[in-house]
Amino acid sequence: MAESTQMEVETAAQTVTLPAKPTFKPLKAHEMSDGKVQFRKISVPPNRYSPLKKAWLDIYTPIYDQMKVDIRMNLKARKVELKTRADTPDISNLQKAADFVHAFMLGFDIPDAISLLRMDELYVESFEIKDVKTLKGEHLSRAIGRLSGKGGKTKFAIENSTKTRIVIADTRIHILGAFSNIKVARSSLCSLIMGSPAGKVYSKLRSVSARLNE
Amino acid sequence: MSIAKASGFEALEKLMSTEPPVFLAPSSISEVARTASRYLFEKLKPFNPKSPFDQLLVDGFDAEQIWQQIDLQCQPLLSSLRQDVKRFAQNPKEIRKLGNLALKVSHEDDDVDEMDMDDDELEATESEGDEEEEGDEEEEEEDDVEEDEEEKSGDHEGIEDKFFKIKELEEFLEEGEAEEYGLDYKNKKGVAKRKKQNLRDDDDDEEDEDEEEDDDEFGAFAGGDDEEADKLGKARYDDFFGGKKKETKMKLKDLSEDDEAELENQGDVKLSTHEKDRIKLQSKIEQMEKANLDPKHWTMQGEITAAKRPKNSALEVDLDFEHNTRPAPVITEEVTASLEDLIKSRIIEARFDDVQRAPSMPTKAKREAKEMDDSKSKKGLAEVYEDEYVRQANPAFAPTTFSDELKKEASILFKRLCLKLDSLSHFHFTPKPVIEEMSIQTNVPAIAMEEVAPVAVSDAAMLAPEEIFSGKGDIKDESELTQEERKRRRAKKKRKFKAESAKDPVKKARDDTTENPKTVTGSEER
Repeated sequence: MAESTQMEVETAAQTVTLPAKPTFKPLKAHEMSDGKVQFRKISVPPNRYSPLKKAWLDIYTPIYDQMKVDIRMNLKARKVELKTRADTPDISNLQKAADFVHAFMLGFDIPDAISLLRMDELYVESFEIKDVKTLKGEHLSRAIGRLSGKGGKTKFAIENSTKTRIVIADTRIHILGAFSNIKVARSSLCSLIMGSPAGKVYSKLRSVSARLNE
Repeated sequence: MSIAKASGFEALEKLMSTEPPVFLAPSSISEVARTASRYLFEKLKPFNPKSPFDQLLVDGFDAEQIWQQIDLQCQPLLSSLRQDVKRFAQNPKEIRKLGNLALKVSHEDDDVDEMDMDDDELEATESEGDEEEEGDEEEEEEDDVEEDEEEKSGDHEGIEDKFFKIKELEEFLEEGEAEEYGLDYKNKKGVAKRKKQNLRDDDDDEEDEDEEEDDDEFGAFAGGDDEEADKLGKARYDDFFGGKKKETKMKLKDLSEDDEAELENQGDVKLSTHEKDRIKLQSKIEQMEKANLDPKHWTMQGEITAAKRPKNSALEVDLDFEHNTRPAPVITEEVTASLEDLIKSRIIEARFDDVQRAPSMPTKAKREAKEMDDSKSKKGLAEVYEDEYVRQANPAFAPTTFSDELKKEASILFKRLCLKLDSLSHFHFTPKPVIEEMSIQTNVPAIAMEEVAPVAVSDAAMLAPEEIFSGKGDIKDESELTQEERKRRRAKKKRKFKAESAKDPVKKARDDTTENPKTVTGSEER
């Protein structure tokens, strides 16, 4: 539009000194895609329905106030809908908000999921136990038990040492954190799935986390 | 001419009468010698038609030039004489014809004697020149000061004088031969002597070495002389180059021929040195040719495996190869003595090259080992990152960690304790105890310091890099290790564990004390 006209002007008169390069403000979320509104829809699994109801205000407040993204719950469709507003500063806000809600749906707590809103480099990685090793029946149950540990201490140990958050949902495992931390957590979880004892994992974690935290 | 002849003869006589030492000293005798030589030269002229000189030119010529002239004349003369002698040796009767002498019955010695005599007479009768020639030669030799004197048979007075006796020479030669070939030859020498002399008549200008050679050959043939003289006339090619036995007959003839002719005569039993050498050479040649045809010795075959050479053959050969290791030092008494001296001196000096332990860091703060927290973290992930960020950005405002608080508490408790103890012990009580502030060294990265430049914290209190992490060698991650490395680490861990457990012996389980006395006694019985 304006740019194309500008270019035409340039090609027409090349010998003439070119005008100064124009500077445009970054596009607002609203203006992108020709002023249309952008949506995100996140479905709510049934087991997260009641937690969502409980924590709705904790979710709503940061999204609406700080991210400046419209949020609503579509009860019929059992989806959380997000929409950009006119004053949404950055398009990434919408995505962040969507990620945040999605993380909550996966099973992460609000304080943990909030970090997604605050920091850019955090991601959520999911994988299944069967991706690592094919286990059936009791072996699978034992593997899950190994992963969590007694009272969840193994899981907490991994979380604390690697600065990640882990959600073990039956055979699915979700890890939230920075990329390198996710790697470390994943490797220790995989070793647990493969059958290594918790002590071994601890010792490994100790050495690695020290390096990570430098 | 006659005057000259007379004067020449007189000169000759005079020369012959003078003592030999006079010849050596430069004197007027040279003039006499020249005239004498000229006289002799003239005498010999008719026998030498090819001679370029009519007269011996002596005026103004030096000895060398005179000698050359004489030599020119004499050479063809000598050869003709030699041929004559050969002829006479073959046909002794001719001498008779020529000489018109009565010969005795042929005994080989007499023959030889006769031959000697005949030769002498021949020389005497044929021409004065021969004698003169000899005398000439003598003079020439004497003129030239140093020259070997030729040998003649015993009847030649001209040759023998005070210095030179033929018989002495013969004895000397016999002794030499006896040394070489043993004493047997000496006995048989007597026969050969005459032959020797005979030879020498023929070989006038032969050198002593050749004569000695002839002597040797004669010595070798000493045994077979008796039989062979008669068969001289029947010499045939086959006798020379046929069987061994026949060749011996030809020795005389051969000897009488060329001086340096190849002598192929061999006795059945005794061989000349030359023959022996030849036999040896032949055998050597045969050996070498055979060796060349045969397959090479294994050492000469280049690369050889153990299968291709005989067993243990490498031990017998002196192999040369590079030794990569230094040879072990040979311990001799000197070496030991030197070592002991060194040890003694070192002990006296007290200079032992002990290995010194590397000094460890003086204040090596153990890096804060983050405790493995098993419980669920109270902070959310966001708060964790928040705290981290704050610590990085503003270390002063950072909330103290759990370890910091613990440290503070510990330090306060210790101070209190010290104060109480000091008050109790009066002697060492310090009224105002200096309370050392234990500075807490937070391990904040230095970069943050530089960036933010807070006033509160200084760079000096930071931990040194060695205090943070000290590692030796190649630090590898678990995933980077090879199988052997893993095994090594495991073994090391096990060894450490064993060492530690050995230090602190494991307490016996308490069950032993509560056991039944029966079982205890049972164990004792064992």
